[in-house]
Amino acid sequence: MENTVVKIDSLVKRYGDLIALDHFSLEIKEGEIFGLLGPNGSGKTTTINCLLSLLAFDKGDIKIFGKEMTPTSYDIKKDIGVIMQNVAVFDELTVYENIDYFCGLYITDKAERKKCVDEAVRFVGLEDFLKFRPKKLSGGLLRRLNIACGIAHKPKLIILDEPTVAVDPQSRNKILEGIQELNARGATVIYTSHYMEEVEKICTRIAIMDKGKKIAEGTKDQLKRMIKNTETITVEVLGLTDEVISQIAGLPHIYDHSYDGSLLTVFCSGGKHNLIRVMEVLQKNDLSFGRVYTELPTLNDVFLEVTGKALRDKED
Amino acid sequence: MFLHHLKYDILSMLRTKALVIWLIIFPIVLGIFFKVAFGSVYEKEIKFDAVPAAVVEEEEDPYFAAAAKALSEGDDPFMELTYTDEKEALSLLKNGKVKGIIYAGGELRLSVAGSGSGETMLKVFADSYNAQRKVIVDTAENDPARLPKVIEALSQEISPATKVSVTDGNTDLYNQFFFNLLAMVALYGSLLGINITLYNQADLSPISARKSCSPAHRFTGLLATLVSCILMETVCMTISVTFLRFVLDVDLGKHMGLVYLTSILGGILGVAIGFFIGACNSFSFNTKVGISMVFSMLACFLSGLMIGNIKPFIQQHCPIVNDINPAALISDSIYCLNICSDYRRFTIKIVTMAAMTAVLMILGLICTRRKKYASL
Ligand SMILES: Nc1ncnc2c1ncn2[C@@H]1O[C@H](COP(=O)(O)OP(=O)(O)O)[C@@H](O)[C@H]1O
Ligand SMILES: [Mg+2]
Repeated sequence: MENTVVKIDSLVKRYGDLIALDHFSLEIKEGEIFGLLGPNGSGKTTTINCLLSLLAFDKGDIKIFGKEMTPTSYDIKKDIGVIMQNVAVFDELTVYENIDYFCGLYITDKAERKKCVDEAVRFVGLEDFLKFRPKKLSGGLLRRLNIACGIAHKPKLIILDEPTVAVDPQSRNKILEGIQELNARGATVIYTSHYMEEVEKICTRIAIMDKGKKIAEGTKDQLKRMIKNTETITVEVLGLTDEVISQIAGLPHIYDHSYDGSLLTVFCSGGKHNLIRVMEVLQKNDLSFGRVYTELPTLNDVFLEVTGKALRDKED
Repeated sequence: MFLHHLKYDILSMLRTKALVIWLIIFPIVLGIFFKVAFGSVYEKEIKFDAVPAAVVEEEEDPYFAAAAKALSEGDDPFMELTYTDEKEALSLLKNGKVKGIIYAGGELRLSVAGSGSGETMLKVFADSYNAQRKVIVDTAENDPARLPKVIEALSQEISPATKVSVTDGNTDLYNQFFFNLLAMVALYGSLLGINITLYNQADLSPISARKSCSPAHRFTGLLATLVSCILMETVCMTISVTFLRFVLDVDLGKHMGLVYLTSILGGILGVAIGFFIGACNSFSFNTKVGISMVFSMLACFLSGLMIGNIKPFIQQHCPIVNDINPAALISDSIYCLNICSDYRRFTIKIVTMAAMTAVLMILGLICTRRKKYASL
């Protein structure tokens, strides 16, 4: 269970003047679903492409299954399943032919291959689209085809680079469940995404990266323990005076707050009964309030605290 | 593994509409267009009536008699001969009943009154006969059994060669359109050839990046795409040649086998050009398609696809262009094969084409040798 599957050591990759990966290191153990989380442009795809020996890098060391990874490491490659960020299928081939083509790069025996392809088709739920060309598939189905092409040969290590971009929620859930199932069957998974919910949902361990650097790593609980925020309280309340606000700010365990005239947000660090104490202040001042809610920290808070900026792009 | 690659490479190529259009449909349409637009004009000119001539036998000459017989018989006789005495012959010539008088017996002598095409044809005939006479006489003395064969060969050689020199290259011009059309199909092979790198060099497409992650050896994939391009181009060339020859009834001569082989070699040269264009630069795929198209069209233009007599012009001012322009090489070699039966020139063209193909393929392979890329 504790075998190291992937070991990246101090990887440096430059594109001209831009340092895309800055001494990036990673160790992934057998059986993990390892999440690589970071905003667009943080270097996730670059990491994957270096890992697969497609990209030349400036410095560093990459081992997969304990062996040096090179472009000709065919014995390593045969056990890897790759789902690229950019969908890689032939537009002129049908769904079935595409899966058969990619599976055939790994499995030469025809009968065995047919079994694998059929299984992959069922796994991603494309049975009704076997004769379709990729152009006729919706975004979600296309991504599922891309995944089927990557996993049909039953690899030990599966690398998925943002497999859910531009995917409808239904396909997204199907994909996430599929990844967990593949993992349950024994595959080690590397999963990159800029959607923290996805990573939180399925990954057993997570590395957060920004600007080519790893800024945090651990299980999601470990990550959340790393930051001082433990609870965020939000209250709908009108007409707060500065006096009341300063009373609230003065409560124990509260390290930050904001008020925009209708919504009060209070950030707490440790302690218990924070919500009750905030309520008490409001009641004491005879203020009536609308909805009240409290949130536990998310990976976004982790990212926010480590980098000083939000993880998510505004639009998604 | 090679066959697995090959199967799907061919399948996806056959289903790529653009390729089918440019390599099969477009040449057929253009061929029909040439036929309709120029066919009626040129075909009249290449229809020859037999040239009337008088023969005055100064001495009995069985060899001439045999050759003359071979040339004045058949569906498409070359001459229409009247055997007579000198006086009668002169009066026929004066009245315009014959174009010339042939004095037979030993070296042929010719007497003509004008300078039209009929006269020229008689002149070429007399020259060729005199040039070959020694062969005929030798054969008759040493191996009489072969004589009919030799005479047959002689007459077959004289007839078309004479007709051509008489038409001032007009038939040439007409046939040149079709030869250049074949050259165009061959060079469109470059559109296939650029796929070789597109599908096998990881920095050019997600598919090739994906292929590079698999345990399939890259060279196998490259070779398979190369072979599939060559097969596809061979099919396209065969379709074009067959269509021109057997549907449009274009005269491609009697060496059809060699015409097919030459066209296919030209097609392979086209594929090699595409392979090289795909490999030697880092432009986007669409730019490479553009380069291939422009290159093919320019080469065909210089070789006379659009303007018939541009080639002689280039031959005069910058002959090197014709020696290395692939379109000119292809159309010229078919031309050499058919019109003038010039095998020496044909061989030079073929060898040049083969050498260019080899060089381009090797350069292509060198350019695609890299395995890791600085940027994807
Ligand atoms: N081919 C390239 N040439 C130059 N810069 C690149 C190239 N590919 C990526 N980059 C840059 O490298 C950084 C990391 O990119 P990438 O690995 O694609 O990030 P991610 O996958 O996390 O979105 C970005 O700043 C991006 O602009
Ligand atoms: Mg990316």
